[in-house]
Amino acid sequence: MKRLLLAAAMTAFLPVGAFAQSAEDLAKGSTDTHNVLNYGMGYNLQRYSPLKQIDKESVKHLEPVWNYSYDDNRSEESQPLVYNGVIYVTTNAATMAVDAKTGRQIWKTKVEYPPEVPRIVCCGIINRGAALYDGKVYRTTLDANVLALDAKTGKEVWKQNAINFKDGYAMTVAPLIADGVVITGISGAEYGTRLFIDGWDAQSGKHLWRTYTIPGEGEPGHDTWPGDTWKFGGGSTWITGSFDPELHTVYWGIGNPGPFNSGIRKGDNLYTDCVLALDPKTGKIKWHYQFTPNDPFDYDSVAEMVLADIKVNGKPTKVVMDANRNGFFYVIDRTNGKLLAGNAYVKVNWADGIDMKTGRPKFTDVYRKAVAGEKVQVWPSIWGGKNWEPIAFDPTRGRAFVNTLNMGTNYKAVPQEFKVGELYLGVDFGADFWEWPKGADGKPGPRGILKSIDPMTGKAKWEAPSDLPRFSGVLATGGGVVFTGRLDGEFEAFDSDTGKRLWHFQTGSGIEGQPVTWEEGGVQYVAVSSGIGGVYSLYSGDERLKSVPAGGSLWVFALRK
Amino acid sequence: MVFRRGLAAAALAAALEFALSTAAARAAEKAAALDPAQVERGRRIYAERCSHCHGLNMVTAGNATYDLREFPQDQAERFFESVTNGKNNRMPPWGDVLSQDEIGDIWAYVRSRSKS
Repeated sequence: MKRLLLAAAMTAFLPVGAFAQSAEDLAKGSTDTHNVLNYGMGYNLQRYSPLKQIDKESVKHLEPVWNYSYDDNRSEESQPLVYNGVIYVTTNAATMAVDAKTGRQIWKTKVEYPPEVPRIVCCGIINRGAALYDGKVYRTTLDANVLALDAKTGKEVWKQNAINFKDGYAMTVAPLIADGVVITGISGAEYGTRLFIDGWDAQSGKHLWRTYTIPGEGEPGHDTWPGDTWKFGGGSTWITGSFDPELHTVYWGIGNPGPFNSGIRKGDNLYTDCVLALDPKTGKIKWHYQFTPNDPFDYDSVAEMVLADIKVNGKPTKVVMDANRNGFFYVIDRTNGKLLAGNAYVKVNWADGIDMKTGRPKFTDVYRKAVAGEKVQVWPSIWGGKNWEPIAFDPTRGRAFVNTLNMGTNYKAVPQEFKVGELYLGVDFGADFWEWPKGADGKPGPRGILKSIDPMTGKAKWEAPSDLPRFSGVLATGGGVVFTGRLDGEFEAFDSDTGKRLWHFQTGSGIEGQPVTWEEGGVQYVAVSSGIGGVYSLYSGDERLKSVPAGGSLWVFALRK
Repeated sequence: MVFRRGLAAAALAAALEFALSTAAARAAEKAAALDPAQVERGRRIYAERCSHCHGLNMVTAGNATYDLREFPQDQAERFFESVTNGKNNRMPPWGDVLSQDEIGDIWAYVRSRSKS
């Protein structure tokens, strides 16, 4: 009896904050080097850590500390979160809490979904990560559910279904918590769906709002779709948005219109390929900017809307920047949506540039012919100048580190009938679909180039080409080291200023994960998931990947003592 | 000496001819069994339903998903079973949305692209 009472007393003295992350904690996430509280390592999605223990000199002594198996043979794209010495990470099939020092599992909660689900998941059986808030771990599932788990035990607190997955909907996105609202996006633009962003109450899971990315009848922008085409318009929302707590504004990237064949949906097709500035409490759209009107090339604009405070024409300016799929690097005033810069950061032939007065692309014949149904070779390919793999922005150097892609598409639109649950694309996937790069000597060129980019010009200070394209995230650090990973499994460190590769380590499978770093007990750790199986494996037909086995796990590294 | 070399060469030639004719016979058999119209129907269904996992035009490295070009041509029953009912908690079932005829069309397409 005495022991029980003592135990109860001890529990009562456990700080409530031991597992609870407040809104203030989340808002300071980008400078909280003891933890990794946010997707993108901060509400600004910069993926930058000020930590300096690992630097250009010491990184050669970086070595593995432990490895944890996900028991999963899929692409591992989840970004780990870290809070008070516990790592929270996800796969398509489970949510896990792992002790950050020892690599031992604390709890694991399985996610079960119907076997039919892969029928409508286009681009990898994956999950991109969780969100932490007030003692709970939030995540989405492939069958379009949103879950809240108790951070201490992994037990389910609430579960909400966004929509019946069967007609082509899936969720892979890591949720965003902003102003007490759990915000989630959804996938499915390849299946002739009409997509949206949801807001849920963090405590109860109650559905608070839904903002459709394709305006309905009577809503502004509806007239940018002819006839019925808006019902199948796409506009997916599968990458986590950024949040400015002072402006109470969430910035969410919107995906491609459906079908790819743009000839059947003449018009700007709002809000596909846009950034939306939203009120997190109501989901109301404050302003929008569209990157690619009437897009034929699947130039999804979902990817990270990075927030930064930079000097524009000498004046400190609050911006949102985006390395867009369409091949242009944009800088936009995030207080009002005004375009500040739009410059090519890869080879682009569908537009000559961006008209700074209208904000619209200056279309070339390549674009016009594609829309008219002729066969064209377009650069960048439909994977874009960069795909989902997130960039890092180093605010001390003013550079964006981007895993760019270097290939084109031999593109021809074809008629396509809409059928529920089937791919609704309207493009001819012939044997010559991918135009792989060639060097000046005619030999195969690099399919991926890591670049250090000046956001206001799109120009690269240095380039680190690779034979295989990189589909993993980038992490920038105060020590002047940039981390990323290769599809053949090498985890790498580069000099932020010169692009020289300083270190690498061979993991067990290809890397498609998002590296993070934190400090605990005076030691700086770096973690990344290894595990191949994403969109390049599925669609490239690259036989070199035959020698890269699947097999997901989490690697953690630190400097040799 | 010349006599023995002649015999060896003849034996080699005969063996080669046999091997070639067997391969040719197999190829001819395969070609004869496949109806081009069915293969084309299968190609379309494959593009709509299967390509997002098994690769555009069935070309894949085989680490994310099974490389269908390696599926044994003489295991039709196994193919129909896997597609209809799903397999290993990875391959989804299609029996409720694809008819056995449609699965047969896909099977014809898969055989037409087989590596063997």
